[in-house]
Amino acid sequence: MATLTESRKQSLRRALEAIVGKSAVLSDREELMVYESDGLTLFRALADFVAFPTSTEQVSALVKLASQEGLPFVARGAGTGLSGGCLPSEGGLVIALSRMTRILEVDYDNHLAVVEPGLVNLHLSWAVGPRGFYYAPDPSSQQACTIGGNIANNSGGPHTLKYGVTTNHVLGLEVVLPDGEVVWLGAKTREPQGYDLTGIFVGSEGTFGIATKIVVRLLRKPQAVKTVLAVFDEINRASEAVSAIIARGLVPAALEMIDQVTIQAVEDAFGCGYPRDAAAALLIELDGLAAGMEAQAAGVVAACMEAGAREVRTAKDEAERQLLWKGRKSAFGSYGRVSPAYMVMDGVIPRTKLPYVLRRVNEIVAAHGLRVGNVFHAGDGNLHPNILYDPRRPGEEARVVQAGAEILKVCAEVGGSISGEHGIGLEKMDYMPFIFSPADLATMHRVKEAFNPRGLCNPGKIFPTKKSCVEVGPGYRPHPIEEKGLAQRF
Amino acid sequence: MQSALLDQVRGIVGSEYVLTGVALSPYVLEGRTPGAAVFPGSVEEVGALLALASEEGIAVTPWGGGTKIAVGAPPKRLELVLGLRRLNRLLEHEPGDLTATAQGGITLDALESQLASRGQWLSLDPPFGEQATLGGILATNASGPRRHLYGTARDLLIGVMVVAADGSLVKGGGKVVKNVAGYDLPKLYIGSFGTLGVIVEATLKLRPLPDDDRLVVTSFERLKDCGQAVRLVLGSDLIPSAVDLLDGEALRGLGLADGGSAGGALLLGFDGMREQVEWQCEEAKRLLAGAVAQRVLEGGQRDSAWRLVREVGRRAFPDPAAQLRLAVLPTQVTEVIEQAGAVAQRSGLRAAFAAHAAVGIVTAVLAGGRDSAQPVIAALREWRELVRAAGGHAVLERAPLAVKEQVAVWDPPGPALRIMERIKTQLDPKGILNPGRFVGGI
Repeated sequence: MATLTESRKQSLRRALEAIVGKSAVLSDREELMVYESDGLTLFRALADFVAFPTSTEQVSALVKLASQEGLPFVARGAGTGLSGGCLPSEGGLVIALSRMTRILEVDYDNHLAVVEPGLVNLHLSWAVGPRGFYYAPDPSSQQACTIGGNIANNSGGPHTLKYGVTTNHVLGLEVVLPDGEVVWLGAKTREPQGYDLTGIFVGSEGTFGIATKIVVRLLRKPQAVKTVLAVFDEINRASEAVSAIIARGLVPAALEMIDQVTIQAVEDAFGCGYPRDAAAALLIELDGLAAGMEAQAAGVVAACMEAGAREVRTAKDEAERQLLWKGRKSAFGSYGRVSPAYMVMDGVIPRTKLPYVLRRVNEIVAAHGLRVGNVFHAGDGNLHPNILYDPRRPGEEARVVQAGAEILKVCAEVGGSISGEHGIGLEKMDYMPFIFSPADLATMHRVKEAFNPRGLCNPGKIFPTKKSCVEVGPGYRPHPIEEKGLAQRF
Repeated sequence: MQSALLDQVRGIVGSEYVLTGVALSPYVLEGRTPGAAVFPGSVEEVGALLALASEEGIAVTPWGGGTKIAVGAPPKRLELVLGLRRLNRLLEHEPGDLTATAQGGITLDALESQLASRGQWLSLDPPFGEQATLGGILATNASGPRRHLYGTARDLLIGVMVVAADGSLVKGGGKVVKNVAGYDLPKLYIGSFGTLGVIVEATLKLRPLPDDDRLVVTSFERLKDCGQAVRLVLGSDLIPSAVDLLDGEALRGLGLADGGSAGGALLLGFDGMREQVEWQCEEAKRLLAGAVAQRVLEGGQRDSAWRLVREVGRRAFPDPAAQLRLAVLPTQVTEVIEQAGAVAQRSGLRAAFAAHAAVGIVTAVLAGGRDSAQPVIAALREWRELVRAAGGHAVLERAPLAVKEQVAVWDPPGPALRIMERIKTQLDPKGILNPGRFVGGI
């Protein structure tokens, strides 16, 4: 995209200020740099403007202006995404929703809430918690990520095994379409008529418009929770335990795996009580009725022991449960102890293919002379291999990207997917043909044409394009809250 | 249909799988007879048929078990009925992955019995499972009582294979339970009533079969008490899989009434481990102590009661005149039913209501008015108006043509119609797929 002339930039700035006010527009290079990346710092792209609307009307006016002026635009939440999805890859306008954070309505009787897109995910659960409710999708960045961003990426989290991902909890959306018109997709009531536009909008990575109000389902907190840590001397046995638990007809709320590299990093950093010499650990959480909980927990323990677990611990109280979860949740922050940088992959496989694929992941990474730490949602087969590397070593980053592509190829070969919850964004556009035929991709493109015919709304994502002016490299810088182990990236 | 064209159709599938003339009587729709009905035996044959139809501009109406074929506006054109019943195989079932892939023409019951032999089930329970096909269930977004806990097609479908309007094969989603690669195309085909493509294969999430499964039927003197009971249940620690509500008329019509006078009943499904189910039945008894009567049904009794409830549209009255499916907020269910019942009474008609109460979906059945369609038309209009006033929406699921000509099948779709029309134009540019039956005349 051509750089704007100074006079055009001045006039656009004035027009933006007329909509959102002087203090809600950024256009200085230093200020814009804050918005040049998301959680995947491998890619950077500089916007011409960042604007901070506070209402649907302002978002609509911004989009209408951008549309009139032929200016590309992209919505941004907290910027915790991991695929470069909210980068202004062709310059233009970033519409930052961080000032639209209100909970507009909570209807406890009908188990729903209406929120603005900039609301932080966890803040919703905090708000409704005292009445015994929560919002189920729990991406690991939930202390920072926004519900609008979750909509764009159809975000998951550890508890999606039982409760589903974002799309399963969204009933309706008020949306500013790419031409600025405001429409409702879906509603508070079920089975809205016509095509499920809410369903196709969720996970469209910001390419169909900007959600300005979101109707979500609220769930009642479970009566009982049980958390189990199973320790294994061989990673294969841990994988077998995952299948054994499912084979017993148990569906845990969460079923997470943590490998040795990760356990050691976590113990170095935080001391959560995971055995350092273990090859792998499974963190398993059951929730639901108190009745039958002991029997289910016994089933989980038996499945793990039969698969060859060395030790199985059950959290005795909430404090112990929190400590076990801290090990899982601070895993990403702790990689800083063992490596200057890492890149996280997000492949998905049928869970019965876990032993084979984990072996292949290790082989691929080793063949590139790199190391990998695995911490992931084993229950849904959603892998997160974290390839550890040093960006200062020439050529290493390129090898990481290559290894990542090979891992995703293996996921595709066993019938899986190249992304379970992070999205395609800029990062994986070129890998889409691993799993989709030209006819599949053409169909997606046609749907995009229906919403976004001029292509100004978040251009250059999901589908390969040559127009992009994105910078690639150097590596990852952890966010301060990650370094402190307060939150993680997925 | 021209005979040269028919010959081409026969050439694709073989003449024994093409029906014409009097053999078409089961495929008469809204008084119209199609030119032919064709039953392809493979995905490739479906592709060849649609490629031909697209080239020749022939309207194609996909047809599964036909259990919901009555839903929709009268077709703009009815030319080629595309029956999917020969695509009836379970293709993959990996119990360890809790997923299965099956062809669109398999009936729900056939699918469930094969899954059950390996201890799992697809947690969808729409009516007429012996006849309804998987593809039809998805295309019409059919559901049943257990949607309360287990969700609907959109919560279970993870991948779909569709033959597009031009005959090409398009895949959306995949075979893994979690997947955000590209747009979520499976969502678009669910509930699209065959207007965007023909569903030939689907991959779905499964659940383990429960050890125990019971139905607790609790009757109350007044319908209002049922509404109060729903609130109590939803505010408790109970995790029912179904929360259905029947008004007095439906209760008596289905033969489920305990005494003559009950104003309504709450039907709670509990399934899972025995210990969980037992505790929940006890807790439900304690919670709903003010009831007129309570029964716990198991085994065959449970199954036949659920079947009656699911099929309320055809069973509440011997000769139903029309059926409306309406959606309101869960807290409005009993009030809307009471108002709609009063409307029917004023019009000299009878009405029965069954609701998936906690998600606000109500099936309203109207009977009477045999001499004239006018009272039925007037009552349906009033029903629709009161649903709209409550902020909800309604679909006229079943009515004679004379009524459909006077009462819209779908609500006015609002500004989002623009996007729906553009999607339709993008995916079916020649408008050959089930034309005219869907929302907004799509």
